[in-house]
Amino acid sequence: MNNNALVVKYAEIHLKGLNRPFFERKLVEKIQEALADVGPRVVREQGRIFVYDLPEEGLQAYARRLTKVFGIHSVSIAAYGEKTWEDVKAMGIRLMEAYREEPKTFKVFARRADKRFPMNSEMICRELGGELLQAYPNLKVDVHHPQIPLTVEIRQDKAFLYTGEILCAGGMPVGTNGKAMLLISGGIDSPVAGYMIAKRGVSLAAIHFYSYPYTSERARDKVVELARLVSEYAGNFDLYLVPFTEIQTTIYDKCPASETTVLMRRLMMKIAERTAKSCGALALVTGESIGQVASQTIESLAVTNDAVDMPVFRPLIGFDKEEIIERAKKIGTFETSILPYEDCCTVFVPQHPVTRPSVDRLRASEALVDFEPMIEAAIRNTEVIAISHIISD
Amino acid sequence: MIYLDNSATTRTLPEAAQAALAAMTGDFFNPAAAYGYGARMEKRVNEARAVMAKPLRARREEIIFTSGGTESNNAAVFGSLKGWRGHKRVITTAVEHPSVFETVASLGRTGDTEVIVLPVNEQGYPDLVALRDALTEDTALVSMMHVNNELGTVTDLFAAGRLIRHLAPRAVFHADGVQAYLKVDTDSLGVDLYSLSAHKFHAPKGVGALYVRSGVRFAGGQMGGGQENNLRSGTLNVPGILGMETAAALYQQNLSAWRQSMRLCKQRLYDNLMSIPDVVLNGPPLTEAAPHILNLSFLGVRGEVLLHALEPFDICVSTGSACAARKAGKNRILTAAGILGERQAGAIRFSLCPFNTVEEMDRAAQVIAEQVQFLRRYRRR
Repeated sequence: MNNNALVVKYAEIHLKGLNRPFFERKLVEKIQEALADVGPRVVREQGRIFVYDLPEEGLQAYARRLTKVFGIHSVSIAAYGEKTWEDVKAMGIRLMEAYREEPKTFKVFARRADKRFPMNSEMICRELGGELLQAYPNLKVDVHHPQIPLTVEIRQDKAFLYTGEILCAGGMPVGTNGKAMLLISGGIDSPVAGYMIAKRGVSLAAIHFYSYPYTSERARDKVVELARLVSEYAGNFDLYLVPFTEIQTTIYDKCPASETTVLMRRLMMKIAERTAKSCGALALVTGESIGQVASQTIESLAVTNDAVDMPVFRPLIGFDKEEIIERAKKIGTFETSILPYEDCCTVFVPQHPVTRPSVDRLRASEALVDFEPMIEAAIRNTEVIAISHIISD
Repeated sequence: MIYLDNSATTRTLPEAAQAALAAMTGDFFNPAAAYGYGARMEKRVNEARAVMAKPLRARREEIIFTSGGTESNNAAVFGSLKGWRGHKRVITTAVEHPSVFETVASLGRTGDTEVIVLPVNEQGYPDLVALRDALTEDTALVSMMHVNNELGTVTDLFAAGRLIRHLAPRAVFHADGVQAYLKVDTDSLGVDLYSLSAHKFHAPKGVGALYVRSGVRFAGGQMGGGQENNLRSGTLNVPGILGMETAAALYQQNLSAWRQSMRLCKQRLYDNLMSIPDVVLNGPPLTEAAPHILNLSFLGVRGEVLLHALEPFDICVSTGSACAARKAGKNRILTAAGILGERQAGAIRFSLCPFNTVEEMDRAAQVIAEQVQFLRRYRRR
């Protein structure tokens, strides 16, 4: 019979001091959430988390799910048994049986967390290595670059053996670092920005601005889908959908043409800040990177920042477009981002936008209109959608 | 709701839905079954064949049932080329539906097939002089759309057919009649294969037919149990077929009244909308075009934006064929007709059915006029 468990190693939580149990508890909670449909037993023990009672046939898939849980460095699919030399030997031989016919190299690594175990690490490596060489003549030892690293961990009440680890996303468990409001557009950048902030343990809320009839229902559905993809990492969150047409047409009618985009962004930031405050978020997150478009020159960013008091996080600020695309592909949002229901607000994009706007000028342009009632109306008519975190394999 | 997107699909007539329902919950039998119930279903299906054949002045054996326009078009292309040995030429037009255009284009990527795409003029008519020049002894297939789904242009298939028979006697002549069947006359087309689709004339989706002239070189479509004279295997979609029969029969009974009603509505809509400044007709003059399709450009407005602006008023229109509407970028059909730039960007297709009313046309035109005026205030600057 086979006893299997997942052995979870933490990422940065190691660095934590006295509040480490808080991070660990949060991580246990997130692991339970990710595997909620199977309801496994999740046990925290001295720098490891063990996940028991998973159906054997789906182990790979369950392990892969944990690659989306922030706070985990790696997951290994392990066999476990009694802390006796006989059991350890038997498990080792069973695990390596898969390589019986192949001339592979291996090395045994051992960790003895329970020092009462009669053999020390070095002895375990030597003895088990010897047994394996005898059982499988095709195997060879390579202490420098083994093809199969076989790890033995002697823990408080059981021994665990595994032959490799699945690297996970790292970061910190979501919910350990407060909450931030992501401005999400439907493009490639903002979902990546949301991912990166969530990775630091920050819970998200997200806000999207739409301009019916300049944008369609499909454009909206696309944003909801992007938010769902981000929530696979960031957990459940609320998405705020803000009607923005009135503000856009007013800017068009009343303000200088070349400043349309920057003004629009200032007003989006203002609405985002108020919405953030109302839901307990302490910062705004955008997908901007310096110089990508006219509204992201350093001057434009300064003007945008000036619209709000809240900190604005721009995790992609130093990234090239190529680098952002690469990450979007890796986290799985790229294919959705490039669907062609881009907002067709091109009428509101000036042919010749300002690239070096000044804060004073833009404040003056914004003061040409009393936007306050429109901001209030937009917030009043905002629709909130609960984005649910459904794991997809 | 004012539904002006009947070229995308139509509402199923209650009578057709009833017929389909009865063939699911009542006489649900497989027409290929050996016992009496099966034999009776086969008879019913053959009666439906006769109804479908009538507007084409065809015989019932010349109708094979399919899952719709795309399957019929695919089968026409592949089935007519299957037995051909050696080099061949396939001719089609620049304004075909993707189910012909992409299928033919895929042949051009194989070694021994040369694909010729005929240009069209600005009203969407294929260039018949170019057709004449393109026809060769080794032309294996000519596929032309009967009524264009975006512009309403009615191709002169009879004239094309005469050229083909003289200059390319071995060629199979296929026409995509999805937008034409029942809407325009189809009784003397001179074609070998003709595709049609049920949901374009108030029958359910997922069913259609292919007319196969007896004696024509046609190896059939999907293979399997040998149904439909071994030309299209698969258990017959009896509910769909009987629903289609019912709708086609009703259409035939009311043919001239229903066409006249569409023509009147189209004229009314056109007259109303042309009173808006800077509106341009795309496609042939109204009297020449199919009675149900009207394509207009509202200059200075993006068609997509106007479409969404009409949604809150429960008015449904299209910026082009639904099969292409989701692809970003250029409209292939309008580009081929030389309708470019602002005119292409502002194009809206209205497609009618016999159940639209003059009042609907007035109401729609009024809303469109208001929205166009509003949207024109915001041009890119």
